[in-house]
Amino acid sequence: MTSEPIIAARGVTRRFGGLVALDNVDLDVPCGIVQAIIGPNGSGKTTLLNALSGASHADAGSIRIGGNEIFRLKAHRIARLGLARTFQTIRIFENLSVIENVKVAAACHTPTSLFNIVTSNARQQQSEAEIDSNSREALQIVGLAGRANDNAKQLPYAQQRLLEIARALASKPKVLLLDEPAAGMNMTESMTLLATIARLKNSGITILLVEHNVRLVMGISDRVTVLDFGKKIAEGAPSEVQRNPLVIEAYLGRRHRHA
Amino acid sequence: MKSWPILALSAAVALAVPVVAHDGYIIQLLNIAILNAIVVLGLNFVTGWAGQINFGQAAFYGLGAYTTAIATKAGLPWIASPFLSVIVVVVASLMLGLPTMRLRTYYLAMTTIGFGEIVRLMIVHWEPVTGGTSGLRAIPGVSIFGFGPQGQMQHYYLLIATLGFAILIASRIRHSVLGRAMIATRDSEIAAEQSGVDTTRIKLLAFMIGAVYAGLAGCLYASSIRFISPDSFSGTQAVLLMTMLIVGGMGSIAGCVVGAVALTILPEALRFLGQWYLVLYGLGVIAVIVVAPGGLASLVSLSQLRRANAG
Repeated sequence: MTSEPIIAARGVTRRFGGLVALDNVDLDVPCGIVQAIIGPNGSGKTTLLNALSGASHADAGSIRIGGNEIFRLKAHRIARLGLARTFQTIRIFENLSVIENVKVAAACHTPTSLFNIVTSNARQQQSEAEIDSNSREALQIVGLAGRANDNAKQLPYAQQRLLEIARALASKPKVLLLDEPAAGMNMTESMTLLATIARLKNSGITILLVEHNVRLVMGISDRVTVLDFGKKIAEGAPSEVQRNPLVIEAYLGRRHRHA
Repeated sequence: MKSWPILALSAAVALAVPVVAHDGYIIQLLNIAILNAIVVLGLNFVTGWAGQINFGQAAFYGLGAYTTAIATKAGLPWIASPFLSVIVVVVASLMLGLPTMRLRTYYLAMTTIGFGEIVRLMIVHWEPVTGGTSGLRAIPGVSIFGFGPQGQMQHYYLLIATLGFAILIASRIRHSVLGRAMIATRDSEIAAEQSGVDTTRIKLLAFMIGAVYAGLAGCLYASSIRFISPDSFSGTQAVLLMTMLIVGGMGSIAGCVVGAVALTILPEALRFLGQWYLVLYGLGVIAVIVVAPGGLASLVSLSQLRRANAG
C-alpha cells in the first residue's frame, strides 16, 4: 500500500475529567481494506470512532480523512467529506419511513433551495428523483428494499441496524465506520452482515469497524488495531495480533480466564 | 395518493360552511380559527418537526399584526404590509435564532418566553404608536390595487385560500430534503449530523419559516379583523398555540388545522357554562393527551392501522 492512508490520525487524545479515554493514539487505515478496532470494555474504541466522525471531538491530535484535516470540524462537514458511520446504540429516525431515513443521508451532497422546494419546479423534482433512486439502491444493498415504505420504528432490531448501514451508504462515503454492527444479531443475521461487509469492501469502500465479537472480526478484517486503556497496544494482520502476548494478556487472556 | 378524498372533502366542507352558517359572529370566529391554524402550521415546523420548543410564536403573530396595522394606518398601500411584516419577523427570528440554535432544546424555550414578554411590553408601553393596552382600531382592510374582500364572508374565502396555500407549502417542505432533515434533527441530532445534515442551520430555518407563517397570519389578522390588542398575542396565547399543536398532533399538518380550529371554537361553544367552561376545557385537553398522546390526528392513523391489521 503505497498511497496515502484514507484515515491518518496522529496523537489523538481525549479526556473525560481525570480519565484519559484516548491517550496519544495514532491510527492509519489504508485505502480499500477492512480494519477492525478491538479491545476490552472501556478501552476507548467508541471514543476513537466519535473523534474520527466528529460526534465528540478529540482534545488534541491531528486527524486526516482522505487528505483533509478534520480535527474539530463539525460532524456534518466530516460526513460531506466522505465519512459515514453507524452507532452502537441504534439511532434511526423513528418518525420517518425506512426510505426517508436513507434519503436524509442521500441528500448529503444536494444543495437545498427553499425556492425550488416551495415552487416544486423541475429542478426540485429531478433532485428528489435522484435522491429516491440512490436511496433505493442503498436499501437494496442491505436487503431492505421490500420495506421501503414501512415506518422505521416498526422494523425488527437487526433490520434497524441494517437500515443504519443503508443510511450510511446513501451518502456515498469513502470510509464507513461501523460501531458494533453485529450487536444483538443472531448467527444467521451476523453471517449475512459479514457477506454485506465483504461486498462493500469489493465495491471500494474502506471499512473501519469496532466489534466486541473477536471471532467475527478475525474472519473479515485485513488489519486489526487493539486498544487497551486508551492506548494502542498492537496492530497488524489478524494472525499476528492473535499471537501478540500483550493482546492475549489484555484481552484474549482475560476472556479465556472467564470462559 | 389515498389522502385525496379526505382533502377534497375537507375543502368542500370549508367552502360550504358560510352557506350554512350565515351568522356573522360564527364566521368571525371561523376567521380567527383559520388564522390560528396558519400560525400553528408555522409552529409545527420548528416544534413538531425540528423538535425545538418555541414560545415566541404568538409574539411573531403580534409583530406581523402590529407592523401591518401601523403601516396601513400611516397610509402605506396595503400591498406593502405583507412584505413589511415578513421582513420584521425574519429579522427578529434571525436575531433570536442565531445565538440560541447552537444550543439544545430548552434554551430556545427560555429565550422565546423572554422574547414574547419583550414584545408584549413594547406593545403595551409604546402607546403613541401601538395604542397601548387599548390596542389599535379601524385598521384599513385588505386592498390590492383597489380590490379587496368586503364583509366577513369574503374575508372567510380569502383566509381559507391562504390556509390552503399554507398547507400546500408545508406539505411540499415535509416531502423535501428540508422536511426530512427537520424530523431527523428532532429524532436524533447526532445521527442527523453524521448523515450530513447541518442541524443548526435546519433548526434556524424551521424557526424562521415558522415565524414567517405567524407574521403573515398576523398581517391578515390586522387587516381582516380590523382591531388588534396586546391580549391576542400574549404569553397565554403562546401557550394556547402550543396546546393546539399538541392536541391536534405534533408533526401532522392535518392535526395542526384540527387542533387550531377545535381549540378556537371550543371555548365559545362552552360559553353557556359560564366560568365552568375552563374546567371542561382543561379536562378535554387532558383527555386527548391521555387517550391519544400523538394528538387528534393520531386517532385517525390509529384506526387506519387497526383496519389494515384486521383486513
